[in-house]
Amino acid sequence: MTLFSQIVQYTISGITSGSIYAVIGICWSLVYLITKVLNFTTGEFVMLGGMLTWGFRGTGLGLVPSVLFAITCTILISMIFERIAIRPVRFPSEMTYMMITIAAASVIKGVVLLGWGSETRTIPDFFGTEVIHVFGATMTSQILCVLGLLVIVTLGLSLFLNRTLFGKALRASAINVTGASLMGIDISRFRFFCFGLAGGLGAITGIVITPITFTGYEVGMLTGLKGLVAAIVGGWTMTGTMVAALILGLLEGFGAGFISAGLKDVFALLVMILFLIVRTLDLTLGKGRVTR
Amino acid sequence: MSGTSREKFLWLILITVIVVLPFVTGSYVVGVMSFVAIFGGLALGMGLLLEQAGMFSLAHPTWFGLGGYVSGILAVRGIAPPWLGTIFSAVFVGIISYVIGAPLLRLKGYYLACATFGLLLIVEITMGQLGTLTGGNEGLMGIPPFSIGALVLETDVHYYYLSWVLCLGCLWLLYNLMDSRMGRAIKSFSDSEVAAKSMGINVPWYKLKVFILTAVMASMIGSVYTFYLRFMEPSVLGFPLLVELVTMIIIGGGKTLYGPLLGAFVVMWLRELIHLSLGGFLPRMSAQVDALFFGVIIIVILIFMPGGLSGWTDRLLYLGRRTFGKAGE
Amino acid sequence: MRGLSKHFGGILALNQVSFSLEKGSVTSLIGPNGAGKTTFINVVTGVHTPDSGEIHFQGEDLAGMEAHLVASKGIGRTFQLVELFGSLSVLENTMVGCHTKSRASMLSCGFALPAARKEEKRIRAEAMASLMLVGLEKRAFDPISKLPLGERKLVGVARALSMEPKFLMLDEPVGGLAAHEIKNLVELIYQLVSKGLTILIVEHNMPFIMSLSEKVIVLNEGTKIAEGSPQEVRTSEKVIKAYLGEEV
Repeated sequence: MTLFSQIVQYTISGITSGSIYAVIGICWSLVYLITKVLNFTTGEFVMLGGMLTWGFRGTGLGLVPSVLFAITCTILISMIFERIAIRPVRFPSEMTYMMITIAAASVIKGVVLLGWGSETRTIPDFFGTEVIHVFGATMTSQILCVLGLLVIVTLGLSLFLNRTLFGKALRASAINVTGASLMGIDISRFRFFCFGLAGGLGAITGIVITPITFTGYEVGMLTGLKGLVAAIVGGWTMTGTMVAALILGLLEGFGAGFISAGLKDVFALLVMILFLIVRTLDLTLGKGRVTR
Repeated sequence: MSGTSREKFLWLILITVIVVLPFVTGSYVVGVMSFVAIFGGLALGMGLLLEQAGMFSLAHPTWFGLGGYVSGILAVRGIAPPWLGTIFSAVFVGIISYVIGAPLLRLKGYYLACATFGLLLIVEITMGQLGTLTGGNEGLMGIPPFSIGALVLETDVHYYYLSWVLCLGCLWLLYNLMDSRMGRAIKSFSDSEVAAKSMGINVPWYKLKVFILTAVMASMIGSVYTFYLRFMEPSVLGFPLLVELVTMIIIGGGKTLYGPLLGAFVVMWLRELIHLSLGGFLPRMSAQVDALFFGVIIIVILIFMPGGLSGWTDRLLYLGRRTFGKAGE
Repeated sequence: MRGLSKHFGGILALNQVSFSLEKGSVTSLIGPNGAGKTTFINVVTGVHTPDSGEIHFQGEDLAGMEAHLVASKGIGRTFQLVELFGSLSVLENTMVGCHTKSRASMLSCGFALPAARKEEKRIRAEAMASLMLVGLEKRAFDPISKLPLGERKLVGVARALSMEPKFLMLDEPVGGLAAHEIKNLVELIYQLVSKGLTILIVEHNMPFIMSLSEKVIVLNEGTKIAEGSPQEVRTSEKVIKAYLGEEV
């Protein structure tokens, strides 16, 4: 491959991963902004999307029904999680919630491992596996699906949050929880909703990326973490997260390509650590809003 | 050592039980109790950081693993005998924790947790990638047993005593520390940084000191672990160990110093119980699956009983105190 | 202190505040709520860095120095919201005040070396003495949660006194105190001042201030609007306007 082709190739993979991280980052923001909870099960929902789809297909269902069931199941799991593990907490504190979500992620991973083993699984590409050539680099139509997902999600969320009453109420609660509840908004219902939404979005993301990157019980943690990095660096806003995620994806793509594939995940983590350190020099905490 | 006569009595009982145990039970119990000492020692340090000092560092498994790796590598390549390697890796970890801690400890609450979590994963992945140095993902093998000169530790019982000496040593050190000027300083800045600063406590410096101290302790425990198992691999210093330690701290209760050790005892034996009873049904028993159960336990306890077990035992042990009016000597 | 200014975001909390204090004197700092009194204390003790200005203390300019260093120079304070250490008992809280006068290192504490233990005993005795000064020695081993607000404030005073400061700032020490406690505090302040301690009190309680202070300084919206004896300040028009608004 020529250098130029390589660059194009890494750019394509970078943008693909970046889009995924962007949507995942949005999932983190949805929950964080309303509840100040860092929900570590976000990554696991991404994994579940792909895993459950594979599982349902294994029972003979077609692709589309499997996808729908998988998404529904994940949303249910997310909402149930909120009900049984977040709601009843007697002495709420940020760290308590965080540890609970970390523990829950561990549980989900363990269950998947027990149920379906440790091999990686995959599902078929949505529109066939034809390879498209771009300047000497290759890509599949699935990648376009990923990009399409990002566009749809951001547009859809924007519309929802800006145009609908519910969405605006959500944004208001994100900015000022006390004020919102004084206006009669039931925060715990919103939280319930956000968990479900984040679960659904996460699942869809996982499904769309599985034909490309495969899935397995381990996949959730790192992918989810990278989404978190994008959200943190992006200041918890939608555009910020998107930009940060794309940069992150590109960094990863080029790093993996030119430096070392094995250390791919390290780049994202380093970015997070460096960013957090640099941030302490400027102490404005992430008071982002749900939309720009 | 300061402390009431009741405390000294409890120490005596503890030490006697530990010393006598191998003579009244078999190698299975000795083996499990060795792990109680090893992971309990780790949990002690992490519990101190998390609960007493209010510093949410999730990096403890990293120090444990680095200590083990460095001393293991030095021993395998014949560069340094195990006892020297242990000291050297402790110094190494001390330096690294200083370098990393200085910028990171300025982070608040869960940002510190995220950053240290990232560190945890970075080191785990990197250790797997440094094939020639660390044996890559298959792990470091051929590690010799722990030895000081001509004295070589071969049997399980040897390592049992070694790990308990280390564990109790750490406990003793931390007890003295928290009962002193420095301990007060730590508790005070976790309650109110502003007031602590106004009393002349250099908070960032103290945070760093405590961070380094617990890291060095973890490193030494990691070295003992490595020489005991004669093996070390990247997954050891990863997420499942973190979940395990957190479970120990939460079960045992972090408000007291010894809580995590109690938690370690419970967790280790609980794990044996799970393996024995469910091993027939479940196809693979691994650290990941353990983490599943620990996860459930964590959630349940955090929801209903955040004080952990030592919340109760403390009240039992020190029942008489208030009525007699004196809390100290 | 000369020309002390401090911004908070868009708000000018302190605007060129200047005045000087004499050793062994009692000065009061008063002003309506939000006038910047606590900000002033925070800036002087190093909790906040001033945007401009100097703080001259015993020949040194302390402006911008870090809080723990300022404390070691001999400047102590109490807090409006008390800020006691919940995990420590009353005595232990007071012992924290002795931190700057002790030097046991981490290792000597950890290994319980004799030097550290001896120092510990000394600190304990000194803290007890501070508690006796404020009359709380009977509560020494109680947890903070058991104390009412008034007594908590006194613990804060004892804690600051353990530092053996040369300059002490009390931030609203009297609110929540019973009448006899206030009387004791007044006597304590006279005692301390006679030993050469310089005291600055931020308060709202007028009788307390007027009876005790040699000088009164008035802040309003970050600016010093009056300085003088209690009498002068009480009758100053500017001060009355600041407290009561334009109409009197």
